[in-house]
Amino acid sequence: MANQTALRNQTAAVAAAVALGILLLLPLAVKDEYYLHVLIGIMFFAYMASAWNIVCGYTGQLSLGHSALCGIGGYISTLLFINAGISPWIDMLIGGVCATGVGGLVGWPCFRLRGPYFALTTIAFAEILRIWTENTEEFLGIQLRGAQGISVPLRGERPWLLQFDGKVPYYYIILCMLLGVMAVTWWMERSRMGFCLKAIRGDQDAAEALGINSTRYLLSAMALSSFLTALGGSFYAQFFRYINPERNMGLDLSIELALMGIVGGQGTVLGPVLGAFLLTPAGEITRATLGGKFPGLHLVIYGLVLVLAMLFLPKGLIQPIRRLLGRRAAAPVEGEPTPA
Amino acid sequence: MDPIILGIAVVNGIILGGLYGAIAVGLSLIFGVMRVINFAHGSFLMIGLFIPFWLWQLFKVDPYVSMIVAAPALFGLGYLIQATLIAPLYRRERAMVLEPISALMLTAGVGLIIDNVTFMAFGPDFRGITMGFASKALWIGEILNINYTRLIAFLASVAITVALSLFLGRTDLGRAIRSTAQNRDAASLCGINVMRIYNVTFGLGCAVLGVVGCLMIPFYLVSPSIGLAFGVRSFITVVLGGIGSIPGCILGGLILGVVESVAAQFVTATSASIFSFVIFILVLFFRPTGLMGMKA
Repeated sequence: MANQTALRNQTAAVAAAVALGILLLLPLAVKDEYYLHVLIGIMFFAYMASAWNIVCGYTGQLSLGHSALCGIGGYISTLLFINAGISPWIDMLIGGVCATGVGGLVGWPCFRLRGPYFALTTIAFAEILRIWTENTEEFLGIQLRGAQGISVPLRGERPWLLQFDGKVPYYYIILCMLLGVMAVTWWMERSRMGFCLKAIRGDQDAAEALGINSTRYLLSAMALSSFLTALGGSFYAQFFRYINPERNMGLDLSIELALMGIVGGQGTVLGPVLGAFLLTPAGEITRATLGGKFPGLHLVIYGLVLVLAMLFLPKGLIQPIRRLLGRRAAAPVEGEPTPA
Repeated sequence: MDPIILGIAVVNGIILGGLYGAIAVGLSLIFGVMRVINFAHGSFLMIGLFIPFWLWQLFKVDPYVSMIVAAPALFGLGYLIQATLIAPLYRRERAMVLEPISALMLTAGVGLIIDNVTFMAFGPDFRGITMGFASKALWIGEILNINYTRLIAFLASVAITVALSLFLGRTDLGRAIRSTAQNRDAASLCGINVMRIYNVTFGLGCAVLGVVGCLMIPFYLVSPSIGLAFGVRSFITVVLGGIGSIPGCILGGLILGVVESVAAQFVTATSASIFSFVIFILVLFFRPTGLMGMKA
């Protein structure tokens, strides 16, 4: 038994090292700007879905308001950059801290609600922010430009301003962010917090009866997830050099993140990444090859994949892969018999 | 604020609110009986609007006549989706307790498919129909006028809701639906085929949208993208009125309609919906059973 486990761990480590190596060397092989752009998009969604997963995957509360946190990060960092000239590296962190505050403030009353009520309330908060931003040209003397969105001015190639000529530096930045969020998730899963969150997901009342302060753990997860989501929003703004309320705060983005997390496998480190790496290219390929003819096709595919996943793989695509590797499926707390 | 303008806004809000109520009735029924949040609700309404639109466009069928096509069509679609897609979720869960999130995401997927297939077929344009009758209005005094098509839509919405209440209260099938909502296991022990009741309930909830779509199309523009906004608005209506309460839906719809309509006098029409969301959040925090809902 022990040997088998060790062997499996070795296989996993080798696989992880190979995957990391490929990702690190990929920009050397891919010279085409378009493919690099797509790769960055994939990793951006992998990052965002992973950040979403920290609160939703591990607590079982479905948030459909994460786009608002992404928007807060994007808008705050962009506005600080334009109006105060502060480096986006610092703006990112400021945006992250603001989003953490908002996430905590909104999360505190929301976590009293469960199931669909929680999901609907997060939609309501995010929609309020989006509609307000869409209809506000100027706030306290700051140009928000409403539905038009804001372009990030180009200041030439300056790493300190997070502006580069090529796309390769962005690739490595988002790769680092992705590895970061995976490391945080991995660490959290194995910490006391991770176990408490899993207990809360299994049965919140029972967890509380055991003395777990569920509000504290849920809010910690929410704060962490908010901060990371806002960082992603800032990266998006800097990379695309344009943000608008529809794309960066809209319900569609929230649904897309939840979709990737759920299809991949929520409550696991690799699940959301897997979901993003499968769905984003599928969307991109249909858009690029058939885009002109069938503009909504990639969303039909997303919908189909989501329906099929809910029907046949409710724990996500990660489930059969784990079974293949002989590991237990995601959540032992859900009362599954542990394979001997 | 001019009281006359305010009065007109309130009347418009009430008319609109009646429609919101009728749209939300299906969602409330489905949630009340099955505990499933149908995220594709708005998409079904969109289909309910497109059916009379095309029947008018291609065959010049009067939208009010189209109801006899649209309502059964949506009943069938709803029945089919419940029987083939949602029912397996029930069968999988132990003790038939459905995890609400998986059903929500499943219907979200169905909504994505419906919206985008329609989008691919018809494009993003907003379409409406013009009937000679549609421009006529009922004048009350010198200033206040209500368009006949809107008035009909309002009255019919209230009628649908009353009819649905009577159906649930007085008929055998209605009683079976209510008993299933109250206690599924007990209903099952009494010989009720619970899964069939679920199919019928889902179908009914969608069929209402077929009727409402035919009422709305004479004065409303339809595009494949309107679904989500109406879905979200229906959630607000349902929560406001009290989940599972049919009269509560109309009340919730009326409040929502009046709030949106009056708020639009003070801020731009697009930001008026912020107020609905604020009310929604306040109700959920302070009176989660809604205005007319019963204690869970």
